[in-house]
Amino acid sequence: MNASPPMYDVVGKRLNRLDGAGKVTGAAVYASDFSLPGMLHGRILRSPHPHAKIMRLDATAARKLPGVRAIVTGASQKLNRFGNFIKDFEVFATDRVYHIGQAIAGVAADSEYAAEQALKAIEVEYEPLPAVFDAIDALAQDAALVHPEWQNLKAAPIINRDGNRCGRTVIKFGDVEQGFRDSYRVYEHVFRTSPVHAGYTEPRVAVAQWSGPDQATVWCNAPLLFDTQSALAEIFGLPASHIRVVVPGIGGGFGGKLRLGMEHYAMALARAAKRPVRVMSTSEEELTAALFRQPATIELKTGVDREGRIVAKKGRIVVDSGACSGSGPLVASTATMILAGPYRIPNAEIEGVAVYTNNHPNGSVRAPSGPMPNFATESQMDMIAEDLGLDPLEIRMRNILREGDIAVNGQKMTSVGLAECLEKAAACIDWSQRKPEQSRGKGLACGWWMTSRGSSGAYLKLMQDGTLTMMVGVVEMGTGALTGAAQVVAEEMGMQLFDINVVSADSLTTPYDFGSQGSRTMFAVANASREAARDLLTKMRTRAAKALGADEGALEMREKAFWNGEKKITFAELAAQANAAVGGLIAEATYIAPAVEHGAARVQNHFSPSWPSPSFHVHATDVSVDEVLGEVTINRYVVAQDVGYAINPTYLEGQLEGGAVQGVGQALFEEIIMVNGQVQNGNLTDYKMPTSMDVPPIEVILVTHPSVAGPYGAKGVGEPPSIQPPAAVANAVAAACGKRIMQLPITAEKILMD
Amino acid sequence: MARDSKTPTSKSGTTAVSLSVNGVDRKLVVGQHESIADVLRDRLDLRGTKIGCNSGECGACTVLLDGVAVCSCVTLAATVSESSVVTVEGLAREGELQELQQAFMEHGAFQCGFCTSGMLMSAYALLSQQRKPSDEAIRTALQGNICRCTGYVQILNAVRDAAARS
Repeated sequence: MNASPPMYDVVGKRLNRLDGAGKVTGAAVYASDFSLPGMLHGRILRSPHPHAKIMRLDATAARKLPGVRAIVTGASQKLNRFGNFIKDFEVFATDRVYHIGQAIAGVAADSEYAAEQALKAIEVEYEPLPAVFDAIDALAQDAALVHPEWQNLKAAPIINRDGNRCGRTVIKFGDVEQGFRDSYRVYEHVFRTSPVHAGYTEPRVAVAQWSGPDQATVWCNAPLLFDTQSALAEIFGLPASHIRVVVPGIGGGFGGKLRLGMEHYAMALARAAKRPVRVMSTSEEELTAALFRQPATIELKTGVDREGRIVAKKGRIVVDSGACSGSGPLVASTATMILAGPYRIPNAEIEGVAVYTNNHPNGSVRAPSGPMPNFATESQMDMIAEDLGLDPLEIRMRNILREGDIAVNGQKMTSVGLAECLEKAAACIDWSQRKPEQSRGKGLACGWWMTSRGSSGAYLKLMQDGTLTMMVGVVEMGTGALTGAAQVVAEEMGMQLFDINVVSADSLTTPYDFGSQGSRTMFAVANASREAARDLLTKMRTRAAKALGADEGALEMREKAFWNGEKKITFAELAAQANAAVGGLIAEATYIAPAVEHGAARVQNHFSPSWPSPSFHVHATDVSVDEVLGEVTINRYVVAQDVGYAINPTYLEGQLEGGAVQGVGQALFEEIIMVNGQVQNGNLTDYKMPTSMDVPPIEVILVTHPSVAGPYGAKGVGEPPSIQPPAAVANAVAAACGKRIMQLPITAEKILMD
Repeated sequence: MARDSKTPTSKSGTTAVSLSVNGVDRKLVVGQHESIADVLRDRLDLRGTKIGCNSGECGACTVLLDGVAVCSCVTLAATVSESSVVTVEGLAREGELQELQQAFMEHGAFQCGFCTSGMLMSAYALLSQQRKPSDEAIRTALQGNICRCTGYVQILNAVRDAAARS
């Protein structure tokens, strides 16, 4: 599969990114830099109770404070409920709060300081109600209901719910109980993970302005323009086209900004104040009232034969959605695939359950369903290997999916680079020396992920100077996805990368797009834009042939011109002619990844039953454990990922390194500590993210088994590197000091605890 | 970074300060709550300096204050009169990027770019003091600047490379 790839002029090259100069000079404009004349500043009053009835809410005193222009509460503006899968979110609480940090009122004032003062002057009386904080407790028959009226909340048909259960997905085939009876040994373990923050550096922010009673524009840092637009339309009861969503620039997302952030608050306040309003989440709000990665409890039972081959696998992952379902049902659903893992499994019963609790609602964080079940399944793989006296590499080699195998979802696997990832990662980390010295050991973990579907559109126009403008409805999150897509377009057009002008992230002017999520952005946008480029070239060629008085077939395209022998017409001349004669040269195309066949009888209520353009990955690490202090030092870290094809290796490596370090954070120290629904470490000193001091030497190996659907064979790459670090580190820690950690993060306390 | 202001505070709680910002003399009357970051962004329209956590923990707002890298979001403008401030906008000279900026571009040392202004200023402060810093010195100089995107690998490479080039 790895024959040397054909050489291209633009794709496959380490070219500087299109948005680079603005970002190193301070000229790039982010949503938090955006302001309008006459703009007010909004702040949000939040519930201090995890579950309570609101007995009285009085904003009379607050309204009289200097600089206060508007106050909005659940009673003062009729706003519809919202939520991606279940309509269980309210913009402002009406009669009841169900989590700490829930919005109760918003204030718009001349300054943030004045708004802050007004928050303190709003009087609220609560009557506490019984609350539940543990997802397993919440599933009990007699548990207090987070939403007693759950049956009245509108939900997507795929949602299988009952009381506090807000989603349930099952993958089932074969006879798992018979499989356990046929097994040589059966292993049963329970693993737990903690909530973590996405860690974007720019807080969630929105500026809203109404241009009439039913028309508004929101400038914000939302990665999903059109999802944000429809959610706002639903809340305000307006046609979607009456709300324009623009993202001037975004300071990181990692999934944490996929769902509404501040947009709805800014819109409600701007409507009340009849002035533009900006609402930016404070640092404290970011760590206490953001959409975290769901904590999970994973029960896993695996039966194997004498050689360590999997005979049966039964598992359940329960994710805590918090008080509103958020991304929970989707996360629990997709987690079933990760819990099964990229292995040959003859009998399986895997369940993913999302549960309401009175914790803060959770959302999506990079590979939302990934690290929790991967931590369980890959830790257990090592535990099985140890018990059977097998090498952890060998047990994986015996079980992994290979070309043509049928995965747990019934899908036939193609372009499987997993064995190569395992071999290369193991060789790189020097696996044969697994225990180089006392208190030092190596671990590895396998994983797989998909390139999410969802459609993309692209508009192209040839500019009068011979360059090309490409308009797409995604947001450049920083991954370089749009630079990558532009490289693909430039290659197609015979142009240079900087001949491509990219316009993006405006719901009014750019075509529909499923958005910057699911490791799909470059993949889908490049495919749509490439198709449009081909169409544009056809039109250009036709006009060029006419202008040169030649057959289209006789024309040669080079140096941004069409040539007929010595005669040529440049792209610029073509554009100028077409601009004058026919309204210019434009083209458009749309793309959605082809559907992938799966075993429909194997899955129930599954959000992602097929796995389009799957990617495969192996992380391996070498750690030392200080057995007195419990401190873990990562000596080396290796990421081997089957990326299909590297459109721009520099930004691909950046994804893999950044994702791995984010995962190492979750492995070793990141944890939103929640006690009775209250975050205990709501600042960046107590919530620890990796810094330059924590980064180990990272080696990246790009494995390239091309995807048939991907541009030049590329697969989605952004999310996967955050999946494997917890398991890889846990396995290395166990190899180093014999201590098996069953709950993330892997802190010194847990290592030292008996 | 708090220091005695050389100018008295008026009854209204405002203070007259003079600052050299990227080499330009600025005279301003600032309020008690105004940080250097607020003054740069809201008064001087220099929004290259970012505010992330607004509490001195993430480093996005890092600027040079008399040559020292500081968090401008927690340094009150009223306390730094007669100081010189250099921001990311002050790095390029007449459109010509600094070695450091160039190295950041070539190494893919940023993705979303939100931490980049602060990261560049911390690295610039280091390279102004040490021509050939050790790896340890580079890591230490950048430890107050959080970057979620890159995992720091390419940032460290960029700073090493810029040091080698100079």
